[in-house]
Amino acid sequence: MAVADFVKSAGESFRVGWKIESNWTDPVLFATYQVIRPLASLLIVAFIVIIGASVGAAANSAFYTQYLAWLIVGNAFYAFVLQIMLGMAILVHVDRTRYEVLKNIYISPGTLHPYVIGRGLVSVVNGAVSVVLTLLFSVAIFNGLLHMNIPLNLLGVNLLMLIPVVILGIISLLAIGYMLCAVNIVSNRMEFILGDSVSGIFFLLGGVIFPVALLPWYVQPISNVLPITYLLNAVRESFGLLPTGSYMSDLAYLGLTTLVTLIVGITVFRLAEQRAKKLGLFDRKSEY
Amino acid sequence: MLPKATPREELLINLRAAYARMWVRLRGSNREVTGLVAEIGLPILTIGAYVILYRAIGLPPTAGAAVIIGGAMIAFWTNVLWNMSSQWFWERESGNLEMYLVAPVSRMSVLLGMAMGGSVNTSIRALGIVLLGIFVFQVPFQLADPLSIGLVFVLTLVALYTMGMLFASIFMLYGREAWNTANLLQEPVYFLSGAYFPRIYAPVVPFALQVAGSLIPMTIGLDAIRRLAIYGESIATIWPHILALIACTLILFPLARRALNYMESLGKKEGRLTLRWQ
Repeated sequence: MAVADFVKSAGESFRVGWKIESNWTDPVLFATYQVIRPLASLLIVAFIVIIGASVGAAANSAFYTQYLAWLIVGNAFYAFVLQIMLGMAILVHVDRTRYEVLKNIYISPGTLHPYVIGRGLVSVVNGAVSVVLTLLFSVAIFNGLLHMNIPLNLLGVNLLMLIPVVILGIISLLAIGYMLCAVNIVSNRMEFILGDSVSGIFFLLGGVIFPVALLPWYVQPISNVLPITYLLNAVRESFGLLPTGSYMSDLAYLGLTTLVTLIVGITVFRLAEQRAKKLGLFDRKSEY
Repeated sequence: MLPKATPREELLINLRAAYARMWVRLRGSNREVTGLVAEIGLPILTIGAYVILYRAIGLPPTAGAAVIIGGAMIAFWTNVLWNMSSQWFWERESGNLEMYLVAPVSRMSVLLGMAMGGSVNTSIRALGIVLLGIFVFQVPFQLADPLSIGLVFVLTLVALYTMGMLFASIFMLYGREAWNTANLLQEPVYFLSGAYFPRIYAPVVPFALQVAGSLIPMTIGLDAIRRLAIYGESIATIWPHILALIACTLILFPLARRALNYMESLGKKEGRLTLRWQ
């Protein structure tokens, strides 16, 4: 019964979240909005590589096309990070300060946790739409329009390899998003910084646009404990862009880091909840 | 009936309004140290990723320097989007917009104050980004003609913040669209302005892209600053940039004024100036 209630509350929260995020405009404009940002990010890095190729900076054209495929996949799946981090980092602020409903959600029996999860799932759906559209547009632009013959075969993706890592990756990102919500419950100064900070760290250290091995040696240990690093490695393996030999170890590390982030996320959230209740922070106003 | 103010009195009161709005912006943005640190440190994460990418594909260190300047200029664009364009939206949400509207000053003076405060604030952050970037990534700069760089920089800011005034007027009646539109104008503009490319006006960049990018004053100013500060060119080679920036300001300022009057009048007719939670 408790599970059914949780799922029902999360479902309702998802419905509300989806309406808030999507009904400000018509569906076509909303879909355009969903694809333009990740596509522009992709075009930035793609053009950097194209500029590199034009001055003949590295060995040969095969290097660039392979690198571009590697980069497209990493950048496309980074949309999950962006959507979840930015969406969940601002959630508490918006509901507490702008719409002033956080206190109502909190005093309804057992709704805060499924509410946060439901709203996080909206970001997951937005992220998934961005990933799919970015991949499709990438193939259309670079192979269809620019005839660059990038070795990216979307029909040849190994779904048995891809689906488990994406599910684990999403769980780990939601757990990190949970932590961001927790920080915002007890603070009213971080809401506009947290999401960008965490996604920026993942962009730099997670192997999104270059291999982790190119980072200075002293920051590589940080990369090696981030779930995003293993998520992107395993995703690229499922796309056939990396040798599949290390897939199982990437999956295992992803599972381990996901478990750790999940435990830490839930613990931090519960601590924040207790502190907020004690100090009366659930209805604190911070905009005047 | 109140006596009509003389032009001198009107000018003075508007200047005082601009100064007051600038003061609020300066004070509000700098009292929180975590915000200041984050606004300097966060761009370095993205800049760092691009500098490493440039190294990975074997481009020269000047490319890294170009990215650092691009990252610093992005700070201004972000400021224009979130602290100028969306500002009326925030003010309406927090219930301050009606106070601006009943104040006996031109709304343009309030926008001018925001722009002055925002440009000073962001200049401090941009300087931090450039210095930190040079320190961390050890990239080369050639500051042979700092006066010309300063001139182009100021002209770029004036044009950019005038564009911000125009956006603020257009965004005035937006509800959640303001938030989403500001979001939408981030990465696409980073791309079009060539903020992360060594050069936007290069043969490998499609001409249509260069034209689209040139509609944003930041693109023109950024290219001129890079030519002066990185590639060692002189002011003689960037005079078209200077003319283009002056033209941008001369076109955008009256447009901003007209747009503001129109949107305010529309808001009054439709009763949307005090509408919250749209």
